Amino acid sequence: MSGNAAAILKVRDLHTQFNTLDGVVRAVDGVSFDVARGETLGIVGESGCGKSVTALSILRLIPPETGRIAQGSITFDGEELTALSEEAMKGLRGHRISMIFQEPMTSLNPVLTVGTQIAENVVRHLGVPWRAARERACEMLDLVRIADPRRRLDEYPHQLSGGMRQRVMIAMALSCDPQVLIADEPTTALDVTIQAQILQLMLELKEKTGTAIVLITHDLGVVAETTERVVVMYAGRKVEEAPVEALFAEPLHPYTRGLMRAIPRLDVEADAAGTRPRLQEIPGLVPRLTQPIVGCAFAARCGFATERCRTEPPPVVAAGAGHTVACWEVDRVRAGAP
Amino acid sequence: MTAYIVRRLFATLPVMAVVALFVFFLLRFAPGDPAAIIAGEDATAEAIAAVRAKLGLDRPMVEQFFVWTLQLLQGDMGVSIFSNLAVTRLISQRLEPTVALTLSTLFVAVALAIPIGVVAAWKARKLIDRLVMGFAVLGFAMPVFVLAYVLIYFFAVQWQLLPVQGYKPISEGLWPFAESLILPSVALGVTYMALIARITRASMLEVLAQDYIRTANAKGLATDRVLLLHALKNAAVPIVTVIGIGIALLISGVVITETVFNIPGLGRLTVDAVLKRDYPVVQGLILVFAGAKVLVNLVIDISYAFLDPRIRY
Ligand SMILES: Nc1ncnc2c1ncn2[C@@H]1O[C@H](COP(=O)(O)OP(=O)(O)OP(=O)(O)O)[C@@H](O)[C@H]1O
Ligand code: SF4
Ligand SMILES: [Mg+2]
Repeated sequence: MSGNAAAILKVRDLHTQFNTLDGVVRAVDGVSFDVARGETLGIVGESGCGKSVTALSILRLIPPETGRIAQGSITFDGEELTALSEEAMKGLRGHRISMIFQEPMTSLNPVLTVGTQIAENVVRHLGVPWRAARERACEMLDLVRIADPRRRLDEYPHQLSGGMRQRVMIAMALSCDPQVLIADEPTTALDVTIQAQILQLMLELKEKTGTAIVLITHDLGVVAETTERVVVMYAGRKVEEAPVEALFAEPLHPYTRGLMRAIPRLDVEADAAGTRPRLQEIPGLVPRLTQPIVGCAFAARCGFATERCRTEPPPVVAAGAGHTVACWEVDRVRAGAP
Repeated sequence: MTAYIVRRLFATLPVMAVVALFVFFLLRFAPGDPAAIIAGEDATAEAIAAVRAKLGLDRPMVEQFFVWTLQLLQGDMGVSIFSNLAVTRLISQRLEPTVALTLSTLFVAVALAIPIGVVAAWKARKLIDRLVMGFAVLGFAMPVFVLAYVLIYFFAVQWQLLPVQGYKPISEGLWPFAESLILPSVALGVTYMALIARITRASMLEVLAQDYIRTANAKGLATDRVLLLHALKNAAVPIVTVIGIGIALLISGVVITETVFNIPGLGRLTVDAVLKRDYPVVQGLILVFAGAKVLVNLVIDISYAFLDPRIRY
């Protein structure tokens, strides 16, 4: 997908690092992908693989005391974000690129009304008076299907349920018609029925507004239902990228295959104790990110690994239309062993 | 909200009743017979008995208590043993300097300490933060009277910018009034300021790490709005609490400051009354100071409800 002219956001060879007591953590270690206008891109991977750090890097919200973008380029609408001034960056955040977070219970300010929190975004970026901004906030609450929006404007977050708070976050994020919405596990903290409603809502709003969505999740089920294209991350690197149908039809990276075996099967009966058969977890541990990884990051856990995997980093190879994978042993994986 | 305020107001009544009870028994059980003190050193037993009868101290305790409470409710705190003036009059004469000193100290300390604490938290672990917090540790450790004498030495004696001591009532003009308050306010306020600055920094640091601050930054809001609205309002409850506790500290600090700067306020009155065992005056002062603290607590409690919508009322 590189060099895609329609791409609104291009991430190239992104490296984001943190200084910690244990040394430098390479949270994101050379990730590249494009986001086309109006598309839904999924980013999946296990906990700690660098999904949130990638998102925060795009908005340049990495805490400067400990972290930094060490290398790489992020272009948004032709503009290089890594070189932009902090002031210009603030003008983009919440306006042309918005973000919603995993924790609806804590992501809204508890001492400000919902109306204030949405309207301030509109005042900040569209320069309209408060009154008009409050009207806009009211419209947005209506759009995310919150009943009785005018009354809700004057309520505080603690008066709303988790699902409603996430709707408010969505209303806030979309209030200035952004070109890109980054949703970092927006439904993980919600229960299953609410999850489905919120995802459905995001997709509908995307159709209406043409906002591209980057949906970060560790749930392949969510990816299958909502996204068009998928980036699979492992230990700070992109290991596979493909259109969603292609990925599910033929996952090519051993790690992606492992993830798919770990999807909970709702169709399998729960046993007498009420527990379903344990998910087939990928054996082994994620490598420590404080040491540079030689060879393939997945080698220690990979059933296909050879000597070469441990010493030389696998190249990214094309494996079909829009399908790329970073693995030395694609052919053997295709053949189905081990 | 009104119901909440009224309820809080009524809740102060038992506290004041306990204070009154304590004050009443203070006189009755204090060492030294007040009648003997009043009657003078070489008074006869009859003279002392006469004084005791005059003060009603020979009546049964319960009766004394009711009479005393009734008088108190009518605003009668009794008569000074030494000056024979009504205690209420003595106190009201000395009220202005103390109120002026406390309020100006409060104002200066809060107006400086909160911005200092906010900046320190914002620039945490940078040079400015270290400087400010170094000052705060120093300010907190510095005894009021030492600082007072240092200030007097430089600003009044060496550079002659401000009066050495004394107090000018506000009726003598705003500048002389303000001038007489600057050094005492600074001397009294530094400890207090250090305390508020430190709690502001700590509270802000905790709030700045919260998810909703990340949300505010992800909206591209201006730094001052993030700090002063999104963060400070959340950090306010502990800060306001410490300001309230600090007022109690201020009231004890006033005694020293008024003595050093020779300000004729309640602090000086307290020192004199205690030294002379002028029990009715001591009683009156305890009631006034306790009342002031109860009032401060009330204001703080009510302010919580304004600052944090989650507080039930
Ligand atoms: N501020 C930080 N300081 C130090 N290390 C950090 C910091 N933020 C993230 N990391 C490290 O970077 C790595 C990637 O973290 P990230 O939050 O991006 O993971 P994630 O893929 O979003 O995981 P999850 O699914 O749990 O949200 C982790 O090893 C994490 O410990
Ligand atoms: S490169 Fe080697 S170790 Fe890495 S995923 Fe492919 S086969 Fe496994
Ligand atoms: Mg994350």
